[in-house]
Order: sequence, then C-alpha cells, then structure tokens
Amino acid sequence: MSSDLINLTLRVWRQNDPDSQGQFESYQLNGVSTHMSFLEMLDVLNEQLIESGQESVAFDHDCREGICGTCSLMINGQAHGPDKATTTCQLHMRRFNDGDTVTIEPWRATGFPVVKDLVVDRGAFDRIISAGGYVSVNTGNAPDGNAIPIAGTTQEVAMDAAACIGCGACVAACKNASAMLFVSAKVSQLAILPQGQQERSERVVSMVSQMDDEGFGSCTNTSECEAACPAEISVSNIARLNREYLRASLCGRD
Amino acid sequence: MDALCRICCIPAELLAKVPGLGPLIRMCCTSVGQKVLMALTGLALCGFLVTHLSGNLLLFAGEEAFNTYAEKLHSMGALLKAAEVGLLATFLAHLGLAVSTTAMSRRARSKQYAQKESKQGAFALPSGGASNWMLLTGLGIGAFLVLHLVDLKFKLRPDLDYATQDGAYATVNMVLPSPVSFVAYSVALILLGIHLSHGVRSALQSLGVSHSKWNKLIEIGSMLFAWAIALGFICVLGWVVLNS
Repeated sequence: MSSDLINLTLRVWRQNDPDSQGQFESYQLNGVSTHMSFLEMLDVLNEQLIESGQESVAFDHDCREGICGTCSLMINGQAHGPDKATTTCQLHMRRFNDGDTVTIEPWRATGFPVVKDLVVDRGAFDRIISAGGYVSVNTGNAPDGNAIPIAGTTQEVAMDAAACIGCGACVAACKNASAMLFVSAKVSQLAILPQGQQERSERVVSMVSQMDDEGFGSCTNTSECEAACPAEISVSNIARLNREYLRASLCGRD
Repeated sequence: MDALCRICCIPAELLAKVPGLGPLIRMCCTSVGQKVLMALTGLALCGFLVTHLSGNLLLFAGEEAFNTYAEKLHSMGALLKAAEVGLLATFLAHLGLAVSTTAMSRRARSKQYAQKESKQGAFALPSGGASNWMLLTGLGIGAFLVLHLVDLKFKLRPDLDYATQDGAYATVNMVLPSPVSFVAYSVALILLGIHLSHGVRSALQSLGVSHSKWNKLIEIGSMLFAWAIALGFICVLGWVVLNS
C-alpha cells in the first residue's frame, strides 16, 4: 500500500499573536496517508513538531464532519481547499499528489483578525447575528409542530438559507472580503418564514449596519462566495437581502 | 484612496443636513445603500447610452438627417442644459460611489493572500472576468469622456480646424478619423462593452432582481445589451472612418 502514502511540503502561516507580523514556515511531512482528512494531516504535523520540540500549529476544528463551521483554512489559495461544497475537515489527502507543496493560510479579512497561526476571530459573525438574526417567541411549553402551516416549497427555500454554517469562507474567498452571503443567508432564513415577520424590518437594517461596522467589504456580485461556500448558499439570497433592505428602509415600521 | 473617499462623502454629509433628507442619506450610506445607488446611477447612464446611440445611428441616414437632429437637439436650450447637468451629476455620483465602495473593500482586507485561486471555472461566468475590472474600465471610460467632450462638445482640439466644418455631420467626419480619436474611441468602446457586461447584470442583482426562472434570461439579456451598445458605437465609428 505504499502508493497510499505521499510526501508533502507544507507552507504554513505562523503568527504568534494578533499584533505580531507573522510569516510562512516550511515543513516536510513524509508518509502522509491519502485516506487521512486534511485536519488529520495537520494533527500528524503537530505531533511531528511537538516531538522535535517545536510549537504546534494552531488551527480551528470541532465536529470534523462538515456541520459546525469551525474549521477554516485557505488551502492553495482556495477556501476549504480545491473541492466544491466541502469543508476542510471533509477534504481528503487523496486530492493531493506526492511531492506537492501545499500553502496554508488563515482567512484574511479585517473583520476576522488572526488570533494565532491559522486561527481567526470570527466573533464579528456572532455580533451580526446578535444584532438581529433571531426571532422573539414566548417561553413555556413547546408549540405544537405544524401549528403554523408553511408551504413545503417555502420551507425548502428557508432551509436552503439556513444551511449556512457560518464558517466565513464567503468572506475569505471574496476579493472584497464582503460578508454579504453570510448576512443574506441569516436574513433570508427568517424573512421567508411567518415566525420571522415580527422583527423583519428591524432585523435587516440592524444586521447590515453591524456588518458595515465590523469592517467587511462591499459586494460586487462576482459570485465567488457562492462557489466557495461549503453549504452551497446561493447568491439569490444576496438579491433577497437587497430587496429586504430596500423594503425595510422605504416602508418598514420604525 | 481614503482621502479621496472622504472627499466623495462631503456631498452626502451636506445633504444629510437638509431637513427631511437625513433618513434617506443614512440609508444610502450603508454598503447595501451605496450599491443600490451605484445600480440606479449605472442604469440611468445606460439609458443615456441608448439615447446617445439612437442619435448617432442617424449618421447612417446621411448628412441632412443627422444635422437636422443635431440642430433640433441644440434648439432645446434650457431643457438640454438641465439634462446635461443631470447627466454630469449622475456620472460623478457613479464615480464617487465607485471610489467609496472600493475604499471600503480595500480596508476590508489589509493583508493579501500569498496565493489566491478562484473556484469558478475560467469561463463558467462570462462576466466573472469583467467583474474584476470594473474600476479600471470605468476610469478608462471616464478618461475617454474628457477627450470626447474636448473633441466634439467643446471643440477645443488644437490640432483640428473646426472653423472650416459646417454642421455636426462634417465635424464628426473630421474628428473621428483623426488617429488620436480613432484609437482612443476604439479602446474606450471595448472597455465600455466589458464594463457593461458585468455592470448591467450586477445592477439588477443589487436592486434585488433575481429569480431562478428569469436569471438565465437576465444574464443573457444583460450581456446582449452590453455588447449591442458597444458594437453599435463601434459600427458608427467604423462607418465614419471608412467613409472619410
């Protein structure tokens, strides 16, 4: 099974803290199993680094099954690596060839400051959600399922938007570091449903305002975000966000 | 860039002080609001291009038809002046918004990637290439407009003898074949085609026009419109030069 093992040169971004400069370091990693996931490969690298007395590479990860949105990484210039609709944890080493050089960078955006090495602070997304990405409900007993009838097709559209895992690949891949795809998904999933009507106008205005305050860029409709999104969120949500924003600004309640 | 951006914000800050305009200006100053304004001014300029091309196509109808049209247009007096001021304001607003949104995007990524690739196929989206060149193609068109106004509106080109030409038709037939104009006009019209091929589609998306049923039609229609405008002007230019 020797053909299942590859040797790689890794160019990894190393940065001690948010204020330091940071630079690329090269590491040789031999005998990488092609059955490994990309994150497992980084685990092996870290073991090798620790054994040789060096500091391990910091990177974000959690569920390792593509649903939590914690892993990130710009791999050879592509958010979450070369595959479409895939997170870094779902990327396998069989996508790489023996002798390849793999460049690994953190997400780069003013709204996502580097914490350490490949870890960035995505708190900006949490603050955007806090600004309006919620619905108000009475506490107490859980309401009956299907108490509010919603057409299947409407549910599907809302669910497609709700598939966003908030990983930040849209910002990372966008040449303007714009967060429009993320915000549009979070606005859409609630704006379409009856439960989201109460805060519909206030929500979109607050979330857009927070997005601007966090220092994200402006959308130029290149659709690079859609191509990079592991959850395949469509840019039609961005058009919906624009409609919602216009509607709320021009005729929404104060 | 930031200094330029602050200058661009001055009209907005002044307008916000006018009673009643505050909420509108605040809405227009957000990233989404700026893109909406960008779209509206862009589409308004497209409307002007259609009118301008319609007028220019009269060059094919001969000297008499074109001169009659030109004289009628210029006889509109104050109405024409108002339209020209409106057009200039729309153009400056479009340019100012371009500077402002570009500055916003530059600030949004202070450190660039060492390596950056696209996940869209090279030809997956015909406007994908154009979308990366909006500012440069726009500035190129802006620079051309200065020449265009000097050439044919104010008639100030020192190397051309405007006095000997009688009527708009004769002036056009003198200016366009001059080497400087021919090259500059050709390049600018190609830039215009590239700019519009992304601009029209993008403007509609910024205004929220998107539906799975219509998106393909919008995409193809925008592309056809962009190149119909550009090729229309190129035909006029080619025809005039070949006939000179």
